[in-house]
Amino acid sequence: MKRNRGETELTLFNMFNKEREEPTAVTADDRLSLVLSYQRSDIDEKKLKLFQTKLIELCDDFGYDVVGQVTIVPQSKERTTIINASIPVRPKSMSKD
Amino acid sequence: MSQRSVAITITSGKGGVGKSTTVASVGLGLAQLGHRVCLVDTDIGLRKLDLMLGLENRIVYDIVDVIEGVSKLRQSLVRHKEFPDLALLPAAQTRYKEEVSPSQIKQVVNELRKEFDFILIDSPAGIEGGFRNAIAAADRAILVVNPEIPSVRDSDRVIGLLESANLDQIDLVVNRVQPDMVKDGDMLSVDRVKNHLAINLLGVVPEDRRIIRSSNTGEPVILDGKSYAGKAFSNIARRLSGEDVPFLELEEGTLISRIKRLFHIA
Repeated sequence: MKRNRGETELTLFNMFNKEREEPTAVTADDRLSLVLSYQRSDIDEKKLKLFQTKLIELCDDFGYDVVGQVTIVPQSKERTTIINASIPVRPKSMSKD
Repeated sequence: MSQRSVAITITSGKGGVGKSTTVASVGLGLAQLGHRVCLVDTDIGLRKLDLMLGLENRIVYDIVDVIEGVSKLRQSLVRHKEFPDLALLPAAQTRYKEEVSPSQIKQVVNELRKEFDFILIDSPAGIEGGFRNAIAAADRAILVVNPEIPSVRDSDRVIGLLESANLDQIDLVVNRVQPDMVKDGDMLSVDRVKNHLAINLLGVVPEDRRIIRSSNTGEPVILDGKSYAGKAFSNIARRLSGEDVPFLELEEGTLISRIKRLFHIA
């Protein structure tokens, strides 16, 4: 099939702008740690999302507002999984001010 | 029963990491040290150990024949001509793993304990029936791992399965290490693999082109005096035998360390 010049340019443009999957970790060591912790504790993205929701609810129960992105990162250390949760919060009383 | 008899399963989870190469060379190394050694190939349908040892033309009976009573155990063992203390119990090539059970393998291995000091059981890849057969009779296990994420992840799963089968003595062999890639950060270091898996390190084997030649010629790489991998396998055999052997220096390092490596004293 004959292509015109415009089509060729568009193909090249798409090739270089193709959406790429973000790597789960930068170094091989971090990636291995993540992979092993997911496997050892049977964690998946769905479970992490649910965990995140519960943590936000828990913060609410204890009088905190979540004021930023909640991140939960499982890490593996010598066959033990450590779940690191980062929750930026502010006391509700301060939020009202 | 031999007082010292020990059955060791060599396993990995992932295929192609060098299990059979390890079994052949370490088995030969133990025989060179004066131990009576039997290598049991449990990869039924896909046997390899016979090729690794150059014994493929001498197989008459196999492990399935023994289990089915077609042959006696002694008839089925193939003795190495150069090292008569080394014997192979081959796997059947035209049968399936499902045709034997863990208890049948256990029975065969228990029979072998009467005659051999070391029984090295070569496990098939995977974690299905063949793996369960291979671990049924083992007193301990050696996990062969390549320093790459898919291999380490599979090994981590295998450790869990071995522990749940009450096999607590698990040793690690990191195979196909390329120090230059580790140095550049392109390969996981032995320390990182060991720390993540948290099991005892038994050996570190460098990547070695001579292994390909050895598997094609049927002469285990441990017999190749010029091979670093061969030296590493020899050290593993000595450690299994109870010797305290330092690990090979794999880094390029100084001129002295290179000379030491040349003469196999490192």
